[in-house]
Amino acid sequence: MEEFVIATLRYGTPLVYVTMAGVLAQRAGVWNLGLEGLMIIGCCAAVLGLVQTGSLLFGLVLAVALCVLASALLWFVVERLRANPIIAGLGLTGLGLGGTDLAVQAIYGSQATVNAPYGLPRLGPYFGDFGVLSVLVAAMPFVVFGLWALLRRTRFGLQLSASGEHPFAARSVGVSPARMRLIALCLGGVLCALGGAELALGSLTIFAYGMTAGRGFMAFSAVIFGAGHPIGSAAAALFFAIVGAIGIRAQLAFGDRVPNDLLLALPYLATVLGIWISARFRGGAKAASSFGELRDY
Amino acid sequence: MKDSLLAVARALAFVVLALALCGVIFEFAGYSAPEMFQSIADGAFLNPGAWEGSLRWAMPLFITATGVIISFRSGYFNVGAQGQFYIGAIATTFVVDFLNGYPAALVVPLCFIAGVAGGAVWALWPGLLRVRSGADEVITTLMGNFIAGLILIYVTGGVLKDPSGTGQVMASRPVAAAYRISSEVGLSPTIVGAAVVVGVLMWVLVNRTAFGVLAGLAGRNSTMVVWQGARMSRLGIAGFVLGGALAGLAGTIEVLGPNGRLVSGFLPAHGFTAILIALVAGLSISGAAIVSVFFGGLASASLYLPVLAGLPAAAIDIINAAIALFITARAAPGLGWLTARRRMIRGA
Repeated sequence: MEEFVIATLRYGTPLVYVTMAGVLAQRAGVWNLGLEGLMIIGCCAAVLGLVQTGSLLFGLVLAVALCVLASALLWFVVERLRANPIIAGLGLTGLGLGGTDLAVQAIYGSQATVNAPYGLPRLGPYFGDFGVLSVLVAAMPFVVFGLWALLRRTRFGLQLSASGEHPFAARSVGVSPARMRLIALCLGGVLCALGGAELALGSLTIFAYGMTAGRGFMAFSAVIFGAGHPIGSAAAALFFAIVGAIGIRAQLAFGDRVPNDLLLALPYLATVLGIWISARFRGGAKAASSFGELRDY
Repeated sequence: MKDSLLAVARALAFVVLALALCGVIFEFAGYSAPEMFQSIADGAFLNPGAWEGSLRWAMPLFITATGVIISFRSGYFNVGAQGQFYIGAIATTFVVDFLNGYPAALVVPLCFIAGVAGGAVWALWPGLLRVRSGADEVITTLMGNFIAGLILIYVTGGVLKDPSGTGQVMASRPVAAAYRISSEVGLSPTIVGAAVVVGVLMWVLVNRTAFGVLAGLAGRNSTMVVWQGARMSRLGIAGFVLGGALAGLAGTIEVLGPNGRLVSGFLPAHGFTAILIALVAGLSISGAAIVSVFFGGLASASLYLPVLAGLPAAAIDIINAAIALFITARAAPGLGWLTARRRMIRGA
């Protein structure tokens, strides 16, 4: 049981961080499908920064800086150039996947993976079996509740939500929705960097091409499933993580008797199911009919 | 005419902007940007024989792109072309594997039917989820891509595995010579003919039939279409299924044509590139025919780069992604005159 909880937290923590980034963007009115790309940039920058300088702090700072920069680029394209956020987000994802591949090849030649000497600090023996988890796992509940408090209990958070829900109302009280979106996307960039760092340095200490394997899109689905609510979305992300952990357990338990590749598809199937259920309950057609375009009024 | 010229100028302006961003990324990664672009141009069009390679890649991309155009025009973001392409290829390989030995006149048409049906089925379920329940099609089709990729790994490592193959690359048995529709060059009369037939049929469908006109309106103003007495759900499902069928057809062509077998994880960027072609062409079929050649050239260059120029193929992925980032832009500071056609894709 404990093993299962640990497996779920390992799978789920990066997902929750990136989901929170998605919640911020969604609240501000941007459909952020660039999460996948931001996450892989976070993974790659954290590992390359650590390997090149030997300093974990430098790796994390580099990851945060690059993710914020990429988020700001996405903001410029969708807000200033009025591009479609869904296509632009997919473009950013491609840029992240291709850019990290290019960076690794530029530094290490045709090597597919980069090993880091050590990872994020662990919780330590004081936490018993859970001591193998990284500090970012323990910080996760605080981030989720902190984000909830920010969005629902502060003036800034309400202004941010208003920028997505009713930009005209926000503008009428002197709030600039455009600036709010920039702040939301950049804060999301920080969270994506942390999620990526946790994925690459939390339990593994490795960067591999395409290691995010759709987790960014899963995080985006968790945002839709959780209706953009921080706690609901985090719960949705953990649900996907539980399904993923069940898949891993089943591989260990049944070995060759069930096809591994099809078990790997479980989280993706759960995501489709989650989207379908939430659409049935909430009549999701309305949300998508705008093609994710930014609203001005 | 003036409108479409402006649209082309606008698209070109943003493609140039995207290439500038790529140049910055190349320099940042420590490559010489001019050298990189020169090598890409060599590999795509300038070297002797490069045109042949570009056209070989352009054919299947064009077919998938026409499917994407139909889906997008009917008002839905079906971004699952990659998965539909894979399922079409898998269905084709099943047919060719199990009917091995029967006359080609029987097997080859069945392969085409299987590919088209496979792609259509893989587009049908997200379509139904979208139209019946309102489940967001962007996510369901994206997840469908991942699931189809895993099914491809599963069948090439299991049911369809080539027993004599090496352990490194999982692939099906090579397609028997009698069933192949082209050599590795990939420019046989069958393939070129298929692309031309698809192009003409889809052009007629989009520009000269009630379905095409209604679907085009559905993508921009669904309320009006409903008031005209058409059913959005029918148009939507038809768009999804047709899009999937065409992606599946491209899958069949790759397996029976230049690839000659089903390889695990083959052409991972096919669907995304087809979506780009559709968008760069402004959802016009005739435009897509020209744009396909450009992206076919890039696809061809991504094979040329690592082998002959010693540069990473990821450069092509970056160029494609940067174009995606900018191509739907409708406004450009200081370039207001370019945005005559304000909304390429329906706004809110």
